[in-house]
Formats: sequence, C-alpha cells, structure tokens
Amino acid sequence: MVDVLLSDAEKTFIIHGIQDNLRDDGRGCEDYRHMEIETDVVSSTSGSAKVRLANTEILVGVKAELGEPSSGKPDKGRLEFFVDCSANATPEFEGRGGEDLALEISNMLTRAYDCPKCLDLGKLCVIKGQQCWVLYVDILLLECGGNLFDAASVAVKAALYNTCIPTVTVSQDEGHVDIELSDDPFDVQHLDVTSAPCIVTLSKIGHSHVVDASQKEEACCLARLMMGVTEKGTVTALKKEGSGSLDPSSVEEMMETGKRVGQALNKSLMEVLCLEEQKGKKKEKTGFLR
Amino acid sequence: MPTDSRRIAGPESSTNPYSFCTEKPRHDLLKNGKRQDGRKENNLRPIFLKAGVVSQARGSAYIEQNETKVICAVYGPREVVRKEDFSMKGLLTCEFKFAIFSCRERRQHQQDIEEKDYSVQLLEALEPAVCLDKFPKAQMNIYVTVLQNDGSALAAAITCASVAMADSGIEMYDLVAGCAVRVAGKNLLMDPCNQEEYKPEDETGLTNSGSVTVGLMPSLQQVSAISSKGEIEFELVKQAVAKCVDVCTQLYPVLQQALVKSVSERQNEEG
Repeated sequence: MVDVLLSDAEKTFIIHGIQDNLRDDGRGCEDYRHMEIETDVVSSTSGSAKVRLANTEILVGVKAELGEPSSGKPDKGRLEFFVDCSANATPEFEGRGGEDLALEISNMLTRAYDCPKCLDLGKLCVIKGQQCWVLYVDILLLECGGNLFDAASVAVKAALYNTCIPTVTVSQDEGHVDIELSDDPFDVQHLDVTSAPCIVTLSKIGHSHVVDASQKEEACCLARLMMGVTEKGTVTALKKEGSGSLDPSSVEEMMETGKRVGQALNKSLMEVLCLEEQKGKKKEKTGFLR
Repeated sequence: MPTDSRRIAGPESSTNPYSFCTEKPRHDLLKNGKRQDGRKENNLRPIFLKAGVVSQARGSAYIEQNETKVICAVYGPREVVRKEDFSMKGLLTCEFKFAIFSCRERRQHQQDIEEKDYSVQLLEALEPAVCLDKFPKAQMNIYVTVLQNDGSALAAAITCASVAMADSGIEMYDLVAGCAVRVAGKNLLMDPCNQEEYKPEDETGLTNSGSVTVGLMPSLQQVSAISSKGEIEFELVKQAVAKCVDVCTQLYPVLQQALVKSVSERQNEEG
C-alpha cells in the first residue's frame, strides 16, 4: 500500500474517532466516500470506465481480441486482468516499484471473477477449443487515495458493462472454418454483469472496522479483510491482508458488514450504470483528474 | 512468459497426455456419507510432521498428509542486503514453490502467478505470529517447496512453515495451524485431496462450490490468514470458517509434539 506519514498522536486521534463511529472526514463506519463513475471514456477500447472515489482515480480499459481458449476450458472465453501502477500516482511506483501491489490487485480480481456464475464466459466462445474472445482488462491507477481494491473492482464492473463485443459468424464448408466479423459497427453484443462481484475491503482499526478506508486510515490499520460480494450476497473471494491478525468473532462481524455493504454497492452501481446508458451520447463528459 | 535461457527448455509444443482424456465430472464427492478415499466429511488425512530436517537451515520442517508433501526451511535472522529494505522491524520474506514435478501437469521453473499469490498469503499468515520487533535491521527468509501436491497445499505449507519458524528459535507469539475446507453444495469436506479440490473449470452445476483456507494462531485464538475461492453462500462461508478454526485448534497438539520431539532429539545428540 502507498503509505502516508502519520504521527502516533494523529493515529490515536483517528482510532479513537472510529471507536465513536466518527471518522476524520465526518463519515460513519459503513459509509463510502463520494464516488463518480463515467463509462465509455477511451474510444480505442471495446469498453472503458473511469472511477473516482474521493482522491482515488482508476481508469479501466477492456479490449476484446480473438485468441485461443485455455486448455482446461475449451468452451469458454478468457478474462485477463492486468494492473498498471502509474508513477504519476506516487514516485514509489517508478520502475518495478508498483509490481507487488499490481499483482495483488490483479490476483484478487482474478479470484473474484473465477467462478462460472459471475460472468457468462461461455458466450465468448467462438469455435470450441480453437477460437474465443479474450477480454484483456487493463487497470490503470492514476491517483491513489486509499481503498484501491474496491475502486478497481467497481471500475472493472463498469467497464465490462460498457464492453461491446462485435458479432461474429462462423461458417463451415468442407472442414474449412471461416470467421466473419460483422460490418455493422452497431451489431454488437453486451455482457451481462448483473452477477459480477464487487470487492469490499474492511479495515480493522482499533476495536471496530470501517469500509472504504482513506489513506490516513489505511496507515492506522494492521489487518484488512477483502471480500468479493455479488448482488445476491454470495461470497466469491475472501482474503486477509496486512501484518495483523483477527479474532474469529470479529472476522464474522466484518463478513456480515461486508455482505451488507457489498450488496448495497452492487445495487447502486447497477442503477447508476443503467442511468448512464440511457443518457447515451447526451451525457456530460467530465474528463480525468479534476 | 519469460524463459530462463540457461535451462534447456522442453520442446516448444508438447501436450500432457492427460489433457486428451475426458474426465467425468465429479458430481459424487460424497457417497453414502463417505468420500472417495473412504473418509467421512469431517475427517482429516493422517498428518506426519517433523521439525529439524534440513541440517543447513536455521530451522526446518516437513509435513506429509497422505500424498501432499511439503518441506520448509527458514534462514536468518541476517542483515538486510538492500539499503532500501532497512526498517526497525524485522523483514520477513516468503517463497512458495511447487516442485516442477509436484502436480499432475508439469510446472515451470520460475514462480508463476499462483505461486506468487501463495507466497503472499503465507507471508501474511506468518507475519502476525513472529515477534518482528525484536529483530530490527534483520531479515528472515522462509522457503517452502511442495514436493507433491495432493490438495490443501497452502494449508499444509502454513502449518509446516510455522513449525519451521519455531524450530529455528526465532521468537514467536504463537504457532500457526492451517486448514482447508471444500464447500460443495451443503457439504463441507475438510482437508480436500486433489480430486476434491475446487477447480473453476469443471462446473459442477452446484450453487455453492468453492474452497476456504484458514490459518489460526491456536493459543491466541486469532485468525492470521483467510482466503477463499469460488462462489459460496454467505452462511456457508461463515460455517466453513468456524469449522476451520475448530480443526486448527485441534491440530495444535500435533505441532507442539513435533517441536518437543525435535528439541529432545537435539538434546540427545549434544548430551
């Protein structure tokens, strides 16, 4: 994680505040910060989204390409996550500096999406065992203001919602297989992301836990629990992060909160995305890093 | 994928013969209350655990759960090599590696993404248990090699690494016991073997299908690692975690016994 310098007194202030359900920016323990979502921001991609969560800004681009399916799943498309930590966000990311964090985020997302019901990858199959759509999901961290995992997962879901996959027709004659791409740029398929998970990170600070920790709060926190939660409240991935440990009963409490918050997050995200799609071309463009 | 130019690579395209055989989906993980290897739902495989197996290392341990075999060595504390790594807390590093031949399919020599993920999880499982404050400016390295993988490799590695760490004499708050559980439908199968492990590629059609791994510090009753794969209903995750915590507590005496045995063996050698 990207660290900020915080004195012991400042840490105590934050920890005591959270004990009384009051955070340094005035939120309650289960509140998210203000989030802005914009889809279709990069025209060279199949789908893209930008999420701004207070000071955290994440840009996700999805590119659909035709490739070979993996040997274990011949009748499924592939989903590949790649995270790039831009050195613009913090000089620590220069060179290979952000590699560990990037790997952690992409592993968590891969795990959260690695179940058959999250995303119907069967629809992405073109010719069984030979050709399928490969969705390259590239995540770019533009600014780090805490809670990167949640913001990244929201941005990924939004970008997948926005993704248009060109319709292809497969014709077969005398053992010769042809793939034909539709000429019409509007003849596209959309993905159904309703049951895709969002990641909720719960940070244990003092004796209580908070969602959507800011950078300062992350510096006070020793152990985090991350959950991939779907709209139905099922858990697709679970991970403890950080150098601290957790009491079994507080793990349970944190999971309860995570489920509740995750379901609400998924619901409002889908509402916002539907609203955005209805606006279509009329929507206002806001651009990056304001 | 970067390759190591100093090694002789296999032929560019070779296929594992197993990938041609069509495995039948394993719908019957549990038949008449019995699993494929004859165990009941709650039964673990027998554990063999021995500390002090690598003479060169500061501490080491070997664990065997039927066909899952893991060896772990701990080196250090020693001075940090890189200046940037300087810290007033000790630095713990972890390297998790599947031996190339350990799985059904051949692994690569270099660490792949799964192994890197396991390394991080193992590190985070052990960090809370080690008194890192007592080792400023020092680093300790844990190396874990899975010799043979027949499921629950991460759980075995957590147990093995914590015993190796204790065997090295590095001060610790507690040991860490690891345990895995496979969730299939409403069934919770403890300590899954390779056939029972959750693999996202073979869709069993069940709503609940996944696995949960927990690392627990038994005497402090603190969870130091928790991870899950697959889509599982919330109530079942809770049950699975609780069950793992239970089993980890039961494993504690096994870990203690292994350590006591290694200490008394060492005393006999010296005396």
